[in-house]
Amino acid sequence: MNIISCFKVVPDEQDITIKPNRDISFEKAPMTISAYDLNCIEAGAQLAEAFEGNLIGVSIGAKKIDDSKLKKNVLSRGPESILMVADDFLEDLDTYQTANALKAAIQKVGEFDLILCGEGSADLYAQQVGAQLGQLLNVPVINSVNKIALMEGKVIVERSLEDEVETIEIPLPAVISVTSDINLPRIPSMKQILAAGKKSATILSALDVGIGDFGATLQVIETKAPEQKERKKDIIQGDSDEAIKSFITKINKVLK
Amino acid sequence: MSDDRFDAIIVGGGIAGTVTAYLLAKEGLEVMLVERGNYSGSKNVTGGRIYSHSLEKIIPDFAQEAPVERKITREKISLMTDDSNVTIDFSSTRLGQQGSDSYSVLRGAFDQWLAGKAEDAGVQMVTGIRVDNLIVREGKVCGIVAGEDEMEANITILADGVNSLLAQKLGYRGELSPHQVAVGVKEIIELPSEVIDDRFNCKDGEGTSWLFAGTPSAGKVGGGFIYTNKASISLGVVCTLCELIKANKTIPQMLEDFKSHPSIEPLLKGGKMIEYSGHLVPEGGLHMVPKIIGDGVLIVGDAAGFCINLGYAVRGMDFAVGSAECAARAVLKAKETKNYSAEFLQCYQSFLDDSFVMKDLKHYKNFPHFLEETPRIFDGYPGMAADMMTDLFVVTGNPPQSMTRMMMKHVKQIGLLNIAKDGWKGVRSL
Ligand SMILES: Cc1cc2nc3c(=O)[nH]c(=O)nc-3n(C[C@H](O)[C@H](O)[C@H](O)COP(=O)(O)OP(=O)(O)OC[C@H]3O[C@@H](n4cnc5c(N)ncnc54)[C@H](O)[C@@H]3O)c2cc1C
Repeated sequence: MNIISCFKVVPDEQDITIKPNRDISFEKAPMTISAYDLNCIEAGAQLAEAFEGNLIGVSIGAKKIDDSKLKKNVLSRGPESILMVADDFLEDLDTYQTANALKAAIQKVGEFDLILCGEGSADLYAQQVGAQLGQLLNVPVINSVNKIALMEGKVIVERSLEDEVETIEIPLPAVISVTSDINLPRIPSMKQILAAGKKSATILSALDVGIGDFGATLQVIETKAPEQKERKKDIIQGDSDEAIKSFITKINKVLK
Repeated sequence: MSDDRFDAIIVGGGIAGTVTAYLLAKEGLEVMLVERGNYSGSKNVTGGRIYSHSLEKIIPDFAQEAPVERKITREKISLMTDDSNVTIDFSSTRLGQQGSDSYSVLRGAFDQWLAGKAEDAGVQMVTGIRVDNLIVREGKVCGIVAGEDEMEANITILADGVNSLLAQKLGYRGELSPHQVAVGVKEIIELPSEVIDDRFNCKDGEGTSWLFAGTPSAGKVGGGFIYTNKASISLGVVCTLCELIKANKTIPQMLEDFKSHPSIEPLLKGGKMIEYSGHLVPEGGLHMVPKIIGDGVLIVGDAAGFCINLGYAVRGMDFAVGSAECAARAVLKAKETKNYSAEFLQCYQSFLDDSFVMKDLKHYKNFPHFLEETPRIFDGYPGMAADMMTDLFVVTGNPPQSMTRMMMKHVKQIGLLNIAKDGWKGVRSL
């Protein structure tokens, strides 16, 4: 049983800062696993553990995704190995290009039974890549899955729709996008982190997997943070009765 | 090495822990370091300045490579009252000579750099994991417990910081007493580096260390500090725990008041607070050093109480490095003879005794006591200095008084004898 969990590498949103001109700065943000893909990796890990399968993490992106901390983080969450295609023109791709690059990477992995994707990416959340990847690989594809039961040659999945739960049987191989409700991603334990240090990661160039520069179809003109309201910076010092009174008067004025 | 065993396990990825791990891995030992924060430097706090002498010996020219902020070439100390501030300002090319220089640092970046060094040397870094307990068999420490996992080692080194719960669990020390620790809060305030150069009168790449006694800690034992970083200022207040109970303000309020003091506010204008943190500072000096050697275990850095606060200088990081070096030497010796007994590991104590760590701690052993016994430093002298300066500089048009009379008036308020006594006691404790 070969399972592949696809994951995107994104700047850690906790450390993204806004510059005074409202530009968004990634300078201090280390690379991390896109939050929804934590569920995808966990789903893969649970299936692999239950069925003695082999789980591989696959990612494509710019050269900077080849980050030792990040790889160790992924490997401590279950995958036996990682395959990355890292090349600088694999940045700012559209969803179809991403799906194509993933397909090329997956073909290097060889045989697979099940490919898992997250419900969307933490930065763009287009929710397209899983569906397009299935189409490109010419296998069944289903999204919004929040339960997977693996069987011989097939899976039975559940999707929570607005007012019903849909149960679907899909023959393998297949591509499945899972929701963030499917599981609670693990917090890796000491031994899992130690073991991650011994696992392998293969880093390939675009050329290695036979893809060239897709050419940009998207051009980001600007990304701005919403305008912040100027604070009045009216600070009332102390806890005297007067200070409190003046505070209440001011609040009252604004509320009126 | 079998999969479940290391030569050494280090608990805590601060300066003490990473340096110990680095030194051991460099000599080929199998070392694991466990840090509960997501990365080294994410959970610990420092004021801001590392004296380079001890790290320089381990990683020569480290300041060329490490993410240090500014080389400190200007030292200021102030006596501060609510409305005034009297400052001694010392700048000299004698400050900042390699080997005796010092640097402002931000632990987030600095500790991560050190951790990187350790990892390159072969240390297995395990971050985001808290060590919950130690494996102890017949009084011998055999490894660690983290969650469901256990891991064994020939030696375990506790570098888990001032509030070392693990040393406490071993019974090597009790609860920290309020006399032994101070509480520190700190903000990092972002400002463009040219603005810092101008406001603090610094050359590019050079910086100021500035300590304050008086109102920052509400007249209690403690003080305020400012360190200039490249493009930010570290600013904070420290107050001894046992005094804090008596103070009329909380520590966060002290920090707020310090920031809005008329001589501080203009320095911060336009700055943006980017980080707020609080931490304990070991201040008991030699008297608080617990048992630091046991069968299969050594304690280093803050966990061992290796830190001194002299009022005009805080030193913990250079002690962390110094004790790490002694511990690493002891472990290497123990490995040679395969003897990790407390008796054999006493060589750690001798290495410490021969190093600046114990020499300095012994030298300053009475100083923490002196500060505590001399409240006038914090609630008397700042006012006296401000009053004297006022008489000296304020011109009112009233007939002048003789200088001696003018000054003695203020001296008498505290009492000449008291001043002489405090001075004598202070000098003797140094
Ligand atoms: C406000 C303030 C100002 C200071 N100013 C200065 C100064 O200017 N100059 C100076 O030299 N010193 C200064 N010090 C002292 C200095 O910061 C410390 O002495 C130094 O950080 C000690 O290093 P350490 O490695 O021993 O401990 P720490 O840096 O505290 O590191 C301990 C590490 O252990 C980890 N840990 C704890 N428990 C566990 C566990 N159970 N499992 C896993 N990991 C654990 C923590 O997360 C932490 O990373 C200051 C301290 C404070 C608080």
